[in-house]
Amino acid sequence: MNVKAKAKKSIPASRQREVPGQDLKWIGQNMKRVEDPRLLVGEGEYADDIALANMLHAAVLASPHAHARIISIDVSKALALPGVHAVMTGEEVAKVTGPLPCFGSPPVEQRCVALGKVRHVGEPVAIVAADSRYIAEDAVGLIEVEYEQLPVVADLREAVHAKGAAVLHPERGDNNIALQRSFKFGTVDEDFANAKTIVKRTLRWPRSGAQPLETCGAVADFNRGSGKFTVHCNTSMYNYVGWLWAVSLNVPAHKLNIVPTMAGGSFGSKLFLHKVPIIAATLARKTGRPVKYLEDRLENLSSCDHHGSDRYYECELALDADNNMTALKCDVIDDYGAYFQFGIGHHGNALSQITGPYKIRSVEANITAVLTNKCQQGAYRGFGSEVSNFVLERMVDAACDELNLDRLAFRRQNFIKKAEFPYFIPTGNLYDSGDYEAVMDKAVGMLDLEGWRKKQAEALKEGRYIGIGLATCQERSVFSSTEFWSLNNVPGFTLTSSAEGVSVKLDALGNAVVKLQAPFWGNSPETMAVQILAEQLQLAPSAISVAYADTDSGLSGTGPGGSRYTVMIAGALVGASKIIRNKLFLLAGHLLQAGKDKLELRDGKVMVKGTEQGMSIADIAMQAHFFRLSFPDEPEFDTGLDANYTYDHPLTTLPSDDRTDLGIFYPIMGHMCHMPVIEVDIETGKITFLDYVAVHDCGTIVNPMTLAGHVRGGTAQGVGTALYEQYDYDEQGQFRSGSYADYLMPKVMEVPPNVRVGHVETPSPFTEYGIKGGGEGGRMGTPPALAGAIEDALRPLGVRIDALPVTPSKLRGLIRQAQAK
Amino acid sequence: MKPSPFEYVRATSVADAVKALAAHGDRAKLLAGGQSLIPMMNFRMVAPEVLIDIGNIPGLDEITIGDGSVQIGAGARHNVVMASDVVRQHCPLLADAYSHVAHFTIRNRGTIGGNICHHDPASEVPLVLTLLGASLVLAGPKGNRTVPADTFFLGMMETAIAEDEMLVRIDVPFQPAGEGWSFHEMSVRKGDYAIVCAAVRLTVKDGAFHDVRVGFNGAGTETKRMAGVEQALEGKPATDATIAAAVKVAVDLSDPSDDVQADAAYKRDLLSALGRRALEQARARASN
Ligand SMILES: Cc1cc2nc3c(=O)[nH]c(=O)nc-3n(C[C@H](O)[C@H](O)[C@H](O)COP(=O)(O)OP(=O)(O)OC[C@H]3O[C@@H](n4cnc5c(N)ncnc54)[C@H](O)[C@@H]3O)c2cc1C
Repeated sequence: MNVKAKAKKSIPASRQREVPGQDLKWIGQNMKRVEDPRLLVGEGEYADDIALANMLHAAVLASPHAHARIISIDVSKALALPGVHAVMTGEEVAKVTGPLPCFGSPPVEQRCVALGKVRHVGEPVAIVAADSRYIAEDAVGLIEVEYEQLPVVADLREAVHAKGAAVLHPERGDNNIALQRSFKFGTVDEDFANAKTIVKRTLRWPRSGAQPLETCGAVADFNRGSGKFTVHCNTSMYNYVGWLWAVSLNVPAHKLNIVPTMAGGSFGSKLFLHKVPIIAATLARKTGRPVKYLEDRLENLSSCDHHGSDRYYECELALDADNNMTALKCDVIDDYGAYFQFGIGHHGNALSQITGPYKIRSVEANITAVLTNKCQQGAYRGFGSEVSNFVLERMVDAACDELNLDRLAFRRQNFIKKAEFPYFIPTGNLYDSGDYEAVMDKAVGMLDLEGWRKKQAEALKEGRYIGIGLATCQERSVFSSTEFWSLNNVPGFTLTSSAEGVSVKLDALGNAVVKLQAPFWGNSPETMAVQILAEQLQLAPSAISVAYADTDSGLSGTGPGGSRYTVMIAGALVGASKIIRNKLFLLAGHLLQAGKDKLELRDGKVMVKGTEQGMSIADIAMQAHFFRLSFPDEPEFDTGLDANYTYDHPLTTLPSDDRTDLGIFYPIMGHMCHMPVIEVDIETGKITFLDYVAVHDCGTIVNPMTLAGHVRGGTAQGVGTALYEQYDYDEQGQFRSGSYADYLMPKVMEVPPNVRVGHVETPSPFTEYGIKGGGEGGRMGTPPALAGAIEDALRPLGVRIDALPVTPSKLRGLIRQAQAK
Repeated sequence: MKPSPFEYVRATSVADAVKALAAHGDRAKLLAGGQSLIPMMNFRMVAPEVLIDIGNIPGLDEITIGDGSVQIGAGARHNVVMASDVVRQHCPLLADAYSHVAHFTIRNRGTIGGNICHHDPASEVPLVLTLLGASLVLAGPKGNRTVPADTFFLGMMETAIAEDEMLVRIDVPFQPAGEGWSFHEMSVRKGDYAIVCAAVRLTVKDGAFHDVRVGFNGAGTETKRMAGVEQALEGKPATDATIAAAVKVAVDLSDPSDDVQADAAYKRDLLSALGRRALEQARARASN
């Protein structure tokens, strides 16, 4: 980015109303989660807890083939089984229910039950509703299907060249390329031409995914009188994309009420949940009875529509004569599986922070999204940016190794400096604020790096291999949703916000009920709302309860995706509280006969400034609810004490038409430094954690304890991605990870016994109180930190880590090769 | 993931269970801790029409001392066997191997009898029972018979037990005083089935290895004990060189295959590393 272009770019004015650095009572406290008691006594109410009268249970016949034409389906035996109420094939479903929602452009048609062709193992071929899940599964076993097998595409590089019968969606053209596009941001060619050093690596990021304790589930009911569906579902984004289910079901959106249940720790895997509720709703309409469909674990693993990124990278990093990084080039092929629900939004996401915390001035990204015979990609904590973090940090470590530079000093030299914010990166996104050196210094101090270096040297003398890793990564938060469309080969939308609403009601006794427009998905939305509202209205946290709106009663909402919820709900609560405070002052002003500007909130009371005269919120609330007629006949005195407020994205701008500039779309920028210490058993390839420090900067912290929980949980998931997890398909597209005996998540014995978490607070100038997101946490930093730690441990052998997961077998293989040299 | 319909029969004695087995023939399966059988039923890999629950038979879970052996009831839970003082004192190899078997909650329900009748080739228990020379007492319509572990374990998930028989007891001879023993295992995660495990029993007399028994899982061979490896150690000086040579024989005799978690080359590396570690530890434990 040259200086001139930068000077031309203007930054919209901040709409921040609550400035950082105030004297705060509740924000910043380690308050215990208000969600926990009910979860711990087993009364959270998940999808499977919903039981309606006369409810039937659904089961799905899954495709055993990766790619095949459906010749015929005979359901007669299944239908004849006592207790079976409906059996529907793809053809029958298609008569009443349309394709599933898709953001990809042009869309790839996907159906809740395959029509004519199956495209991955596990894809639904027929659906059954019966008196019990047992009977439904018995019926599934009686359905007879004749298939004609088609050539299978299971390798992402071969997928690029597939033709003819191997093409999954021939109506889109004779190839399996879902989307291919090249982007240049800044003077890439010039920077590479002038480079002193060019570092090259081929890197592989494996297909893994979030593993929610409760799989996707829905209970659907169809009222034939009103023609309206009610669907209880553990979806995460019902408020944002739920109306698209109505489109699939061929009803207008007001004829579908979605009632959220606890979505649990789903980490994105229920973000765009559509197949499950639409199967349940289709069967409910068919049978005239409520239907529950809850995926079993095999269905969730093989057909949840939410496998994570699966990428092959060829990367080049340019450095100048002073070892400043100047340009980054990535050719990436991404295996999207059989469908394309988000388009390449994951790459849009990654481009928001593609240059990391560094002053890299130009970027080239050549993106090829391919279709293969696998379950489609969805969202997994990081949404594609965790991959680019890994790639960039691997390139940074590679540059250090090739040029024999210190990994800390090189990063420090290339960091964007604290005084340089707000900072535009070459893709056009803006970083709001940051202090990367402070984060790294804190991590180094907490770890006692010097001490570990000594221990490492001593251990090596005994033939023990200890390694220390380092990753300094970004955590963008608060998306504006430009990422979902800006990379498409078609013109996009105008400025998109992705709003977040909240309703706040003070009851007659002055206690508050907050209604959220997004479900609980494992984070702490209720705790955040309670702490922020308690701060705003000076209520005791115990005077606030939190509920979740259904779509009939709800406002606009987007939910916690992209680490946005705390920032967005803070914005909405500040807006709603302002309305309520005004009303409190109006009523109290009338009753106390004082001007509104003479009043203030003090210790849960409305007080006349500088006096001891005032009224409790409870007394005013009672007046507001029942004594309307003692106030003037002006509309602002009307009965009630409540507010609806919808907060819009704090800062976003449009991309340029030619997409050499993507605009500001993910500006609330967090940062982290992860430093693991591990030991490698070089004979078995086993990795043991000796220490782990993770320092995060998420701006102003609402609750350090829950934030640390995000960091630790995310770190465990990062360990999974780096060392253990992979959805494994063989060359025939057969799925080999169909249970937790095969899809290996780290358990308590495999994660660091104590992730020591540190916080740095660099407030955002654009959000209320300066809060930034922190929900994706550790998973965005752990994989590169571990890859670096393994290399550091095995430096005497010269082992290089280019591909994840580094399983014991693979690591031992790398060591064997190195030893043979 | 629900099983197909089945009938449930609760046996109150061994005789009762054997009678039920005879009555239902190959339509029936015994249910012990259910930790292997129930998942297989839920995946519909097996679909017994009758389940005969032997989990409530009085006395089937007892652990007692017999004549030079520990007698373990087939219904004894993994955790009970593992923590049993009698087992730890007289058959430390078995107790030690058990620390690698599954997870705490699974060990709370799973039984030693169910484990060995299931005979997963990766299981630790059949391997060490073979090395320990255990005998298995089976009850059938014609009474009891005793089968040595050597001939009880056939191929993968196959044993010498007949369809109308039930395992009632495992007799494990005491490990002699002064014997060295060791068990080493590599699994991807704690509690997973082993990729490779190595078990060793031996004595050291006058600086030489004697009474050597060595076995592996994950080596890809049909037998658990490796005679060739035992020969390479028996009577030879108890040195690192002997160990190295024996471990090389193990690798040469092995024929492991690739699977999702581990390739064959890795398994050979593990045979070598774990074999050496087990032999060294057994040598150190043996009294001279
Ligand atoms: C997650 C997980 C991890 C595991 N990891 C390991 C491991 O690392 N190592 C390991 O060894 N095992 C492991 N297991 C298996 C575990 O040890 C099982 O408990 C054991 O294999 C079966 O014992 P059970 O009592 O549960 O038998 P069941 O599941 O009830 O029965 C198993 C089979 O044995 C038959 N059977 C049971 N009892 C008798 C009897 N008395 N006579 C004749 N037949 C009988 C049954 O009919 C059935 O066919 C694991 C299991 C799980 C779920």
